[in-house]
Amino acid sequence: MRIEEYKDMIYACGRCEFCRGIDYNDRCPEIFTQHWESSTARGRMAIARSILEGQIEYSEDLAERIFGCFMCGRCREECKKAAQIDVIAITKAMRQDFVDKGIKIPEAGADMADTVTSSGNIFADPPKVHNKWAEGLEFKEGSGTLFYPGCLASHRFKEKTHILVQLLQAASYELDFLGDDQDCCGTPYWITGKMENAKEYAQTYLKKLQDRGVKEIITPCPSCFRAFDEEYPHLLGVEEFPIKIRHTSEILQEIVDKKKLKFKPVKKKVTYHDPCEIGRYRDIYDPPRKVLEAIPGLEFIEMSRNREHAFCCGGGGGCKIMYPDHSQTVSDERIRDFTETEAELMTTICPACEMNLTHGMYEADLDIRVLDIAELMAVSAGIVDPEILEPDYFPED
Amino acid sequence: MMVDIKKVTSLLEEVVSPSRVTDRDFDKIPYSRDLSPADPKMPTHVVLSETREEIQAILKIANDQDVPVYVRGGGTSHWDAFLPQEPGIMLDLGRMNKILEINERDLVATVQPNCTWAKLDQELRKQGLTYICSEAGGPAMTIGGSVMKAGGGPHSTAKFGFHGNQDVVTLEMVLPNGDIVETGSAAWPSAGKFKRQCLGPDLAGMFIGAEGILGVCTELTLRIRPATDISERLTATMKTLDDVIEFGHFINRHVGDEYMQGIYLWCDPTAPDVFFLMMDIFGYEREIVDHRKKKIVEKIKELGGEIGDRAPADDYFGRILTGLTDLFNAGVWHFFGAGSLRIDDITFLYNVWKEEVIEKRGYTKAGFGGQILPRDWLAFMVTNYREPEEWKELVKMADEIDEITLRGPVVPYGIGGRDGLRRFVAERDTGYYRLLKTLKKTIDPKNILQRGIFIPEEELL
Repeated sequence: MRIEEYKDMIYACGRCEFCRGIDYNDRCPEIFTQHWESSTARGRMAIARSILEGQIEYSEDLAERIFGCFMCGRCREECKKAAQIDVIAITKAMRQDFVDKGIKIPEAGADMADTVTSSGNIFADPPKVHNKWAEGLEFKEGSGTLFYPGCLASHRFKEKTHILVQLLQAASYELDFLGDDQDCCGTPYWITGKMENAKEYAQTYLKKLQDRGVKEIITPCPSCFRAFDEEYPHLLGVEEFPIKIRHTSEILQEIVDKKKLKFKPVKKKVTYHDPCEIGRYRDIYDPPRKVLEAIPGLEFIEMSRNREHAFCCGGGGGCKIMYPDHSQTVSDERIRDFTETEAELMTTICPACEMNLTHGMYEADLDIRVLDIAELMAVSAGIVDPEILEPDYFPED
Repeated sequence: MMVDIKKVTSLLEEVVSPSRVTDRDFDKIPYSRDLSPADPKMPTHVVLSETREEIQAILKIANDQDVPVYVRGGGTSHWDAFLPQEPGIMLDLGRMNKILEINERDLVATVQPNCTWAKLDQELRKQGLTYICSEAGGPAMTIGGSVMKAGGGPHSTAKFGFHGNQDVVTLEMVLPNGDIVETGSAAWPSAGKFKRQCLGPDLAGMFIGAEGILGVCTELTLRIRPATDISERLTATMKTLDDVIEFGHFINRHVGDEYMQGIYLWCDPTAPDVFFLMMDIFGYEREIVDHRKKKIVEKIKELGGEIGDRAPADDYFGRILTGLTDLFNAGVWHFFGAGSLRIDDITFLYNVWKEEVIEKRGYTKAGFGGQILPRDWLAFMVTNYREPEEWKELVKMADEIDEITLRGPVVPYGIGGRDGLRRFVAERDTGYYRLLKTLKKTIDPKNILQRGIFIPEEELL
């Protein structure tokens, strides 16, 4: 079993319940939706230990507790202090054990991974549809700097992605784009445990990128960012990925720091949602805030749970497709955090968060736009019309 | 005892939403352990209650079906006090976690049992208030669990002591037969929740420390007070334990209750003859805090002690005791050889630690510590150990030390179930114990609530 690799960590759980925190469910989106102690990190360690000791076995019934984890890392953030248990790594290993043992995993998760293998993206888009966002944009093949939007930004947020590239190009970034050769980064494999194709997939992808002369990848998607930067080295058995990876949060801050663009006032009250995968996973908290600070006229209001304490948007860990009701419940809660701020705009810097929070706004019947920080920046730089900030604006995509 | 699992599941689902009842093994396993090295004990069901009426209904089912009910708060008990000693229903109070009222006029706060100390204090401080007498421990430590075991700890105070002293104003308890009892001033229907001792006997005291065997706590009203703006933290190293004892008497006799925080002693197993003291002084006025500090420093010097850097104390209180940082690096935790004792008697417990644990058994991983509450010590030995390899050996050694400790002038702190200290209470067969058994039999004739906790089942036949 994969979890045997983590035996020491599993047994190191002191059952202190630090992972749950100072309230029953204000940290962990899984216990927020599933209620039982078996939904917490402490509970999962107890389950993993029982599996290791042969008291229980993986079962289809257990799947919701393991695949219903949003992998937001909130528990791990706390456990860093007490026992340094990598709850996410253990959760991934448990998911892989399900697959290895042939136990049925949530169908939507299995389908998503299979769809990546068969079509190259999670939506089974043909290339023409998947690349529609790039219409009218010019890229520079061989520039060495690859813009890699990932599946969600390509399929779901065509306008946002288009605006982001306009912004980057206005700031003089010479971007290459894989076009029809762009495939998913492979994240669905490791979040569903379906790892049978993952290593070969990573090897093939690296070769494709190297053959094209890619020296650096810029991506707006935290999952893609972490895929290349963390998962690929692990799969390929190398210390670090041979190509530099930067998330757009770093690039946008660079634009501000190097004064690559001039900004005009945007008179709006905004808040910012920290995506788990760049926040808690990578400690990227300040760059998005510095970008917002740099836009004149903006009034920035923090949500009560922010930075490492931020509550998940509900989109993590594959829950959006495997457990959509749980995902929506978490999103609704995050929207309540937003509502308390009385801000006019919700901003973030992750396509998955943008999608889930947008769905949360719909559910709450709020006419509030959820924007990527790049969109605000593009408005301030005069690259796009300020109408995209207005509540009644509805993008064509 | 056989429990008809499916039948009980069905009955529970009639009184609590089916989504809050489970009999699946993987859901029950996390409830089979607490923070202690007690053997795992699986419940037959877990049910998440949200109201006292649901608890009444669950207890009725339990009585009708003769299935015991065990109570789960934060799940961080140190002595098997809330684990199912027999197959039974685990009542998870996790969702009863609200702050119901903060009354800044009467200086009381009313909470549900699974509100944590940290959550309450966070809200109180927004209003310039605090509940100063909180325990150390993780943020998951619930108020209900803490009070039901009469908790104390290094954040208890020389002035106010632990929870059982006076800070619990009123309780709302659901008895095993479903009756609801309110204590103190809350017992008078047309009054309010403002006073502990009134209308006859102090029934709150009967429930505090009873580890849930006499009722399920569904609401607590606590005394709160304005937050103290001024504090000082001191550390000192004393040459002998006798000097520590004299210093303890000085705190209690000469300046007594004016010191709001007790002194905290720590002896590390790597240097058992070094007596390290930490103390916090709180106050509303700088002049008073400075005066207290001056008196303490003078006394420590008079006794030949050395005032030290406060950084280790900051580290211990902040990073470790409340932040739990690196707590489990050397393995999981266990307290043993613990209890309450007179200030002069600390030498007895220290000698048990040094001679029996370190010298005789060669066990060098356990530290020794304690704190002076108003007029006594709450002292303990604590160790990290590795599960599973060191588990059984540690338990054997801890049991031997408990045996020796409790033969001396030490009152056990926390009783618990068969892996706790209940056998030590039973074998002494005191009048106190006989009265407790009478109360239990009267209030809970079928021994439904926390069966096997505190009192072995056979003692109640």
